[in-house]
Amino acid sequence: MFRRKRSAEDFRAEIEAHLELEADDLKSEGWNEDEARWKARREFGNLRAAQERFFLKGRMVWLDKLLRDARFAMRSLLHSPGFAIAAILTLALGIGANTAVFSVMNAVLLKSLPVSDPARLVYLRTSNPPRGTGTIDTTQTFSYPVYDALRHQNTGLSPVMAYVPLSASKVAVRYGAEPEEAEGDMVSGTFFSGLGVNLPLGRGFSEVDETNHAPIAVISYNYWTRRFARNPNVLGKTLYVNAVPMTIVGIAAAGFEGVEPGGSTDFWTPLQIRRELNAWGSPPQDGKLYNSNSTWWCLRLVGRLAAGVNRAQALAQLQPVFQTAAYVGLGGAPMQGEKTPVLSLADAKNFPGYDQQYGNPLHMLMAMVGLVLLIALANVVMLLLARNAARQREFSVRQALGAGRGELFRQLLTESLILVSAGGALAWCFAEMATRLLGQWAQIESSLAPDRTVLLFTLGVLALAGLLFGLAPLRVALAGRAELALKTSAATSHTDAGKSRMGRTIVALQMTLCVVLLVGAGLLIRTLRNLENTPLGMRVDGLVVFGLKPNIPSIPGGRTFYRNLLDKLRPLPGVESVTIVEERPGSWWSDNSDMMVDGRLPDQANGASRTVRSNVVGPDFFTTLGVPILAGRDFTDSDTAASPHVGIVNEEFARRFLPNRNPLGHTTGPDNGQYTMTIVGVAKNHKYRSIDEEPIPMAWYMYAQIPMVGPMHMEMRVHGDPLAILPAVRKAVQQLDPDLPLIRPITQRAQFATTIAHQILFARLAAFFGFLAVVLVGTGLYGTLAYRVNMRTAEIGVRMAVGARRGQVVWMILKDSLALTVAGVVIGVPLAMLVGRALASSLYGVQPLDAVTYLLAVAAVAVVALVASAIPASRAASIDPMRALRVE
Amino acid sequence: MATQESNDDRIALLQGTLDLLILKTLLIGPCHGQGVARIIQRQSEEVFLVDHGSLYVALQRLEDKNWIRAKWGVSDNNRKARFYSLTPKGRDRLIEKTGEWRRLTRAMELILDSGGGLKGEEA
Repeated sequence: MFRRKRSAEDFRAEIEAHLELEADDLKSEGWNEDEARWKARREFGNLRAAQERFFLKGRMVWLDKLLRDARFAMRSLLHSPGFAIAAILTLALGIGANTAVFSVMNAVLLKSLPVSDPARLVYLRTSNPPRGTGTIDTTQTFSYPVYDALRHQNTGLSPVMAYVPLSASKVAVRYGAEPEEAEGDMVSGTFFSGLGVNLPLGRGFSEVDETNHAPIAVISYNYWTRRFARNPNVLGKTLYVNAVPMTIVGIAAAGFEGVEPGGSTDFWTPLQIRRELNAWGSPPQDGKLYNSNSTWWCLRLVGRLAAGVNRAQALAQLQPVFQTAAYVGLGGAPMQGEKTPVLSLADAKNFPGYDQQYGNPLHMLMAMVGLVLLIALANVVMLLLARNAARQREFSVRQALGAGRGELFRQLLTESLILVSAGGALAWCFAEMATRLLGQWAQIESSLAPDRTVLLFTLGVLALAGLLFGLAPLRVALAGRAELALKTSAATSHTDAGKSRMGRTIVALQMTLCVVLLVGAGLLIRTLRNLENTPLGMRVDGLVVFGLKPNIPSIPGGRTFYRNLLDKLRPLPGVESVTIVEERPGSWWSDNSDMMVDGRLPDQANGASRTVRSNVVGPDFFTTLGVPILAGRDFTDSDTAASPHVGIVNEEFARRFLPNRNPLGHTTGPDNGQYTMTIVGVAKNHKYRSIDEEPIPMAWYMYAQIPMVGPMHMEMRVHGDPLAILPAVRKAVQQLDPDLPLIRPITQRAQFATTIAHQILFARLAAFFGFLAVVLVGTGLYGTLAYRVNMRTAEIGVRMAVGARRGQVVWMILKDSLALTVAGVVIGVPLAMLVGRALASSLYGVQPLDAVTYLLAVAAVAVVALVASAIPASRAASIDPMRALRVE
Repeated sequence: MATQESNDDRIALLQGTLDLLILKTLLIGPCHGQGVARIIQRQSEEVFLVDHGSLYVALQRLEDKNWIRAKWGVSDNNRKARFYSLTPKGRDRLIEKTGEWRRLTRAMELILDSGGGLKGEEA
C-alpha cells in the first residue's frame, strides 16, 4: 500500500529520454548540437520542480511525517533510556499479567464448548436422588433406567446422551506392547452427532453401535497428537482397554476433550456391557453392572433441546417421565415422607466443572491483576508527567522557533504510542509464557493458548493505556506558552509542575491499592502456611502410592491376586512394609455412608450427621502409613475370609458413637445390615480425603473379608527416595499381568499436596502480584520524589544558604511522602477489609480481619515509602548551596 | 510555471484540459511523452504551450488512474523512450470528457456570441 508503483529513478530516465528526443527533433529543425540540448532543457521548464511534483504526488505525505515523528520520538526516548526502560517494563508487567490471567479465565470460564450451537445444550440435574440409591454426585448423576426412559421421549430433548468414565481416574490401555493409562468414557451412540462434534478423520458412533455395544473407539485430537503423533494410520488399529480390544474408528475435532467436568477425555467407546468395563471401573455389585443396577445413579446426562422447544417446555415434558423412571427398582414410588426428586436443566454452553473449581479464585486473581495494572498505568503516567514537565523549557523553545502546538502534541503522542506498542509486544510474550506456566501449575488440561478474544482484550487494555498517556502530553501542549519559558528561570517555571496535585493524588492512590493487594496476599499466604503446617496424623515421608486395575474374574480370584502381589512386593530391596487401600488417601475420594453400631444406627443429638467415611484396606495399613493405633491392633495377614470379620475405627468414631465405652469388641457395618465386623482397633484421627478436612468418624474394612474386590492402590513404605522403587515394582507387577500399568505413581506427600494445589497456586500468585505492586509503587514514588527534588534544587540551595540545616531539608522531603503514605493507608485499610471479607471462603485458619496481616501490609507500604524517599532526601540534603544557586 | 517569453502567442493550458488533450493524442496510437507534447503543439497550430514538467506529472496521474498504460520501447530514431497507450477505460473517459468539453464550449460561445457584447479584442 505504501509502495510507489514507479521509482523516481524510472521517472528520471524518462525525462532524460525526453530531452534527447526533443534535442533530436530540434537538430532536425536546423539547430546545432549544443543549442538543441540547451533549448530542449529550457523548453522543459524547471526539471527539479517536475521531479519534486512527481515525488510529492507518489508518496503519502502523512506517512513521511509519521516516520519523521517516530524517528524523532525514538531519538528523544534514547536520550533518557532509564525512563524508556522503566516505562516499557512497567507496562509489560502490568499488561502481561492481565493478559495471562484473562486468557486462563477465557479458556476456563468464558469459552464455549467446541460443538455446534452450544447454547441449546443442557446438562440434566436432579434436586436429590431417591432414597435407597447410591450416587457418584447427588445432583449430577442418574440411573440407567432414567437414561433409558428419557432418551425414548424425543419431544423435549432430542437426543439425551449419557456419558460415564471407565474409571474414577484413568483406565489401563495398551497400544502395541507397553501398558499405559488414559482417560476414557463410555457414551451414547448419539454422543457425537447429538453434540455436533465433527470428526475430521473416520466416523463417530451410531445408535446401532450402542445397541450392539460395538468394540470401537474414537480418540481425542489431543490424544491423537500426544500419543500417536497425528498418524492417520491409527484408524482401524486396536486399542486394548482393560485388555478388551477396541478398534479405533475416528478422531474427534481439535479442541473437543469431552464433557467430563474439569477433565479431558482421551477416548470414547459406545456404552459397553462387560465386567471389565463397568462404569467408573467399579466391580459389579451383586453381579450387576451399571445398566442393570437401577439403584446406582452413576451416569451423567447431557441433552440438546429439540427444535422449536424452549427449556421450560422441554422440562415440563421430561419431568413426569423422569419421576416415574427414578423409582424403577425402588418399588415404583417414593417412600412415606420422601422428597420426590425434581429434574432441572443447566447451561452446557461452557466447559463443564471449571466454574466451581476455579471460578472464585480466578475472579479474585483478575481483580488483583487489575489493581496491579492500575498501579502500573499510574506509574507510567507519573513518569510521563514528570518527564514532560522537565522538558517544559525544551517545548517552549521549540514553540518559539516555530513548532506548532499540534506538531508538539503529535510528537509527544508518538512517544507515548511507541512506549505502549513496545510495552504491549513485550507483554504478549510475557503473557504467553505466564499462561503456559499457569496451566501447568493449576493442572488445567484443556488448552489455554491465548485466542482472538484474549488478543482483543489486550488490545483494549493497550488502547486504554494509549489514551491515558495521550492525555498527559495534552496537558503540556495546552499549558506551554512560548514566551513564558524564555523569560523565566528554572526555579520559577518548574514550581507549578513540582507541586502538581495530580502527581500527589496518583501516589496516594497507588499506596491505597498497594495496601489492598498486600493485605489480600498476606491473608492468602497465611492460609497457605496454615495448610502446609497442618499435621496429617501420619508419617508421609518415605511413602509411595500407585494404583492397579487388575482384571478380576471373581472375588476369590481378586483376593488371590492382591495376596500374590503383596508377597511379590514385600521382599523387594528397601521396602519396609506394603499395604493396599481402595480409596487413595489425599485424593478427595472416600466412601461415605451411615453405619450400624451394635446392630442399629447410632442416635445423634439434634439430627447431627451420622456419616462415616469408610475405606477398604489390607494388612499392616496403619503400620505402613504411620498412623498410631491407640487401642487394639492393626489388620494382619491372618485376617482372612475364613476368620471372624474385623474392622478398625478412628477416635472420632469412638467418641461420637461409643462415648465413654471401650470400643473394642463392639460391632459395626454398613446400614443395610448385610455385613458386620467386630472392632479390633482404634486409630488416631488423621487426614483421609484432603489436608483441610475436619476430623470425621472413619471406619476401615479388611479387603480379604468383604464380598467385593475391585481396583486398589498400593501404599509402600521404603527407605530412601520413595520413587526409586518404582522400576522394581513395575517389573514385579508385570510378572503377574503384562497388561497392568502403575496408575498415577506419586509420593504420598505429593498426593496430599494436590488437595491444596489450588490454594498454593492462588497464594503464590497473590504474593507475586503483591510483591509486584510494592516494587511498582516503590519505583513510582522514588521517581516522582527524585524528580521533585531535582526541580527544587534552586529552592533548596536558597534555603540552605539562608541557614536551613540538613535535617530540616531531609524532613521537608520525607514529610511529603509520609503525608501521602498516611492518606493511602487511611483509605486503603477499609478497602482491604472489604477484600478480606470477599476472600473469606478461600481462607483457612486465619480471620479476614487478621490484625497481624494488616499491620504487616501497612508497615511494608511505610517502609517502601521511606526507602523510596530517603535517597532523594539525602541527595537534597547534600546540595551545595553555592553550586545550586550558580546553576541559574 | 512556464518560463516562455511574454511575446509568445502561445497560451498556457487550462487546468484539466491537458488530460483531455493527452487522451485524444493517444487515440491515434501509442506515443512517448515528448511526442505527445509535439503533437499537441503542432495540432493546435503552435497555440498551446505544453509545459513539459506538467505533461509528465499529468501522464503519471493518468497512468495511476489506469486510463493509460506505459512501457519502455524504442522510438523511430532508435532512442529508448517510455511509450504510452490508451486503455479501454481511458477510451471511455475520452468520449465522456469530449462530450463535456463540447457542451462547455457551446455554452461559452452562446454567451460570448450573444448580441451587444464585445466582438473580439480589436474592438
